Amino acid sequence: MKLYDFPGAPNPRRLRIFMAEKGIKVPLEQLEILKGAGRTPEFLKKNPFGGIPLLELDDGSYLAESVAICRYLEGLHPEPNLMGKDFREQALIEMWQRRAELSLFGSIGRAFQNTNPIIAPVIGQQFPEYGAKQLATAQQTLAVFDAQLKGKEFIAGPRYTIADITALVAIEFGKQNAGLQLDPALKEIARWHQAVSSRPSAKA
Amino acid sequence: MKLYEFTQAPNPRRVRVFLAEKGVSVPTVQVNIGAAENRKPEFLKINPMGGLPVLELDDGTHIAESVAICRYFEVLHPEPNLMGKDAKEQAVVEMWNRRMEFEVLGMAAGAFRNTSDFFKGRIPQVREYGEVCHAAVIKRLEWLDQELANREFIAGNRYTIADITALIGIDFGRTTQIRIQPEQKNLARWHAAVSARPSAKA
Repeated sequence: MKLYDFPGAPNPRRLRIFMAEKGIKVPLEQLEILKGAGRTPEFLKKNPFGGIPLLELDDGSYLAESVAICRYLEGLHPEPNLMGKDFREQALIEMWQRRAELSLFGSIGRAFQNTNPIIAPVIGQQFPEYGAKQLATAQQTLAVFDAQLKGKEFIAGPRYTIADITALVAIEFGKQNAGLQLDPALKEIARWHQAVSSRPSAKA
Repeated sequence: MKLYEFTQAPNPRRVRVFLAEKGVSVPTVQVNIGAAENRKPEFLKINPMGGLPVLELDDGTHIAESVAICRYFEVLHPEPNLMGKDAKEQAVVEMWNRRMEFEVLGMAAGAFRNTSDFFKGRIPQVREYGEVCHAAVIKRLEWLDQELANREFIAGNRYTIADITALIGIDFGRTTQIRIQPEQKNLARWHAAVSARPSAKA
């Protein structure tokens, strides 16, 4: 088994944190994403959609999509549980994971792709006006998450789950690469961020 | 239990088709996106993100996000299996579901959101970006047609949630004149098959 990886990229980081929480070690192969290594003809044979993370399984098949890979690893290594135990928990955690991914991370990602010159060679055409609007959306979404954290220790409820990993990685990536601001008035976010950042897995 | 939804929107349709495949009936309540009912304070209490569909459980809990709702029902009603049996199958189905979600449905939605009069004045629209999304769907469908030469369904040899997502994504593409082309025979074969299932009318 091997994982195609790149240190600065957010999706592989989500997976690395997930694996660190589980105590799973998988050999990493670094890809020069900013030089287009995730879109070469050879790599597209492994992942036709391009990009990382990509897990190469022992039987030679490939698994893409960070959350799909997480689900695979959750099935193989159920403890500690990160994606829910019973049907109700699985649905609630998935709901929060998707909210973090599609609303928060999604708008941050679109802001990054359209405003940061570093990704221009990979993306092609950028729409700075659209990117700026997406950043504003991300800021608003952060305020919604702050309100929703009231009375909850973690994003999806009383315990740390994959939803916290997605939100943490999205916010940190947004701060570093898309101009996202963490308003100190968002006290619940600040409290939560401090807690999830100080877990050993956050260094992954 | 009830499902807040809107018949014309794509994400609610994903859940309706899923429930039909499972033979599960849930009463529905219409929330009119066209009249921005989903952005009013009463609905934001139900889903602070404002999206549809939302499942309301008997104890008052609300579950939003169509795939989370599907997962709830998948575990509660395991047959027929739509999201994978063992760890590997679940991951493969999820991978394909996500690919269809991001690159077909998501891009078709991006095209619609940024070019349609439906949202004019209500959300920030960037027409040029919508056109990039539109072109991306068309290119992805060319690729999908080739993929479907070698297998019957999106994620493998049986119908799964990935087929539901792709069906709804392609059908939603019609709102920006995206069509399966005459030469895309594999895609047309697959589309006819999934559309002929009774669930497709949900």
